[in-house]
Amino acid sequence: MTVFLALVSMLLYIYVIAVIEASLRTGRVNAALPLFAALALLGRESIVPRKCDRIFFETAPILLLLSALLAAAVLPLAPGLMITDLATGALFINAALAYVLVALLMAGWGPDGAYALIGGWRFLGQLLAYSMLIVMPITAVAMRASSLLTTDIVTSQAELWNIVYQPLGFVLFFIAAMALAFLPPFDLPTAQGELAGGVEAEYSGVRLAVFRFGRLALITALAAATTVLYLGGWYGPWLPAWAWSTLKLLGVASAMLVAGHYLPRIREAQLLAWAWKFGIPLALLNIFLVGVLVLVLS
Amino acid sequence: MKHPTMTTSDNGIVLLILSLACVGVVAGLYGFARAIGRTRPEPGKDVPASAGQMSRDPVWVRYHARYLGYALLFLAFDMEMAFMYPWAVVYKQEGVVALLDMGVFLGILFLGLLYGWSQGALRRQ
Repeated sequence: MTVFLALVSMLLYIYVIAVIEASLRTGRVNAALPLFAALALLGRESIVPRKCDRIFFETAPILLLLSALLAAAVLPLAPGLMITDLATGALFINAALAYVLVALLMAGWGPDGAYALIGGWRFLGQLLAYSMLIVMPITAVAMRASSLLTTDIVTSQAELWNIVYQPLGFVLFFIAAMALAFLPPFDLPTAQGELAGGVEAEYSGVRLAVFRFGRLALITALAAATTVLYLGGWYGPWLPAWAWSTLKLLGVASAMLVAGHYLPRIREAQLLAWAWKFGIPLALLNIFLVGVLVLVLS
Repeated sequence: MKHPTMTTSDNGIVLLILSLACVGVVAGLYGFARAIGRTRPEPGKDVPASAGQMSRDPVWVRYHARYLGYALLFLAFDMEMAFMYPWAVVYKQEGVVALLDMGVFLGILFLGLLYGWSQGALRRQ
């Protein structure tokens, strides 16, 4: 029952985030727009490119959706309201999200299209930039909680949220999460107006609908992860636990979408250089600072 | 500290069912889309986005991964993360010893990053 509730609330979050993304793009709030867009995609032809690698082409959208769903499965929305409470939850988030890269490489390689291929390889470069900035801040969070259970991570923030305890880790994780979800300004693999859609270019109809849904699920999973790891999960005054989770999750997702809306697309060379010259030294500093804080405060 | 009431294999079964259900829902969606209309075979429709023709050569050629310097450093750092997670869990009970141990390890790794930087690894090749 809780599994079902958690899944339904995840679907609702995905829908609301789709509405936010659509209203940023069109400039008007239209609550029905994602529904109509999905129906329109369902009604359109879903073309399979000539000479494609059929297995890769078909697997990519499903794998993208699946990796987002598995990452979201270990994230609690309220005490008990989660799909499964895995003992290695914090590590499992990384493991599930690693398949985003695999899915995008498959989507790039599969259709034998030049733009898609470049988009796929570009995302491999993007992984080299963001990946360490996802795993290193999560390590620092696990140090404070002394556990990889996501519920323990939330309860470790009962007195003080991690965003205050380790603000550096939060900033790095937030930016890296945007790069992982290939949201603007990190939309290098899709790159509208430059790669003709990149990894999305050869998908149409129902397959494109699944691909886009998977991407929205990925944004939701990452917003949920940010909430659980840094914003104290379900903690908050007056309102019930699930309401706080919802508010925080949607707030994080909106912040990601709005930030990307006003920033120009970053260049791959700069993304890699900044990630390794500033991001990783700062992430190591964050681990050290949290290590000292944990020892001093305990 | 709260411990999970489910065992690891129970968790695995839940995640497996979730994965299968997800694949099933997508397959159902594909079936529905196919039921309401099929793709009409027309010449040129299935050509990948390029100049409207199949490219002369296959595009599955060698792509110059210009981030290869980063990729080599990434391998070293990614291996290190495998040790960091168990270390993070026992960090509080081990105390200063854990901080110093990992500090030496990360220090060497960080020197490696600085060395790579000085040798021009942090550059698009």
